[in-house]
Amino acid sequence: MSESAEQKWGIAHVYASFNNTLITITDQTGAETIVKSSGGSVVKQNRDEASPYAAMQMAETVAEQVKAAGLSGLHVRVRGPGGNGNKSPGPGAQATIRALARAGIEIGRIEDVTPVPHDGTRAPKNKRV
Amino acid sequence: MRVAVTGTPGTGKTTAVTAADSLSVPIVHLNETITTHELWTERDTDRDSLIADLDAVRSHLGAWEGIVESHLSHYLDADRVIVLRCEPATLESRLLDRGETPKKARENAESEALDVLLSEAVSQHGAEKVYEIDTTGKKPKEVATEIEAVVTGTKEPSAGTVDFTQYLTQ
Ligand SMILES: Nc1ncnc2c1ncn2[C@@H]1O[C@H](COP(=O)(O)OP(=O)(O)O)[C@@H](O)[C@H]1O
Ligand SMILES: [Mg+2]
Repeated sequence: MSESAEQKWGIAHVYASFNNTLITITDQTGAETIVKSSGGSVVKQNRDEASPYAAMQMAETVAEQVKAAGLSGLHVRVRGPGGNGNKSPGPGAQATIRALARAGIEIGRIEDVTPVPHDGTRAPKNKRV
Repeated sequence: MRVAVTGTPGTGKTTAVTAADSLSVPIVHLNETITTHELWTERDTDRDSLIADLDAVRSHLGAWEGIVESHLSHYLDADRVIVLRCEPATLESRLLDRGETPKKARENAESEALDVLLSEAVSQHGAEKVYEIDTTGKKPKEVATEIEAVVTGTKEPSAGTVDFTQYLTQ
């Protein structure tokens, strides 16, 4: 992670659901949206075959737009069960992040900010799958 | 037969299982049980929620039969897991109408948009035990009829039938 003063960094908000992945790129404050993906949806397709591919294709398109916007690096905020690695049935944030890195974008901090369903009670964090 | 009815708060679990009156099986409303019997370890003050002690919940319930209804029910062993779904903006306004705070309504709606509980249910139990029911636009009685069909075995398993991610881009 080398973030010098003249380099512009942004935040990649990765939304990884059961069968879709979205990316929104904002500035460092989160206020200004720079790139909005149309999503790598794989609903009603064969998810095993289609999911990593759809997410990766989207990430490649986003990467080009990020470079065109003059950003050199991205911090990543992952929301969603697709963000929890191999155990997840979703296409996964991991494939998306790898595709961004492969396209030459520097990846900084990766945070998991998945929302927690709650209603007076909630599950313990370590028991969430 | 052990049936877990889960789903994001506001999807209508409590309403629907209460309306499923053709079933004569015991129904546990797990959120109440956790509070009443103090089956929790800590408080999440940000979310004004008790962090459930799942081992204590399991031993309190013991060899249960029938329906357990809660957004935590899929953490239990079960024969069938029903996941109620609801379009997130609709879910958010249902929660606001029920008197919940905007912050709580929003975080639950985002959870619903991201399929958080569906994914957990599938990871935990396998897709062959999961029955996803989209309640959007359905009356409680219609949802109850679908729950009854799962319990009596006339409905096939399903998962990944909706995509609510559009909520996140609005
Ligand atoms: N099928 C439905 N259509 C419209 N509103 C509903 C429906 N089911 C429940 N509601 C309303 O939505 C709110 C949440 O329902 P509730 O049963 O408490 O959900 P849960 O137990 O899943 O948190 C309640 O105010 C309820 O009256
Ligand atoms: Mg309830």
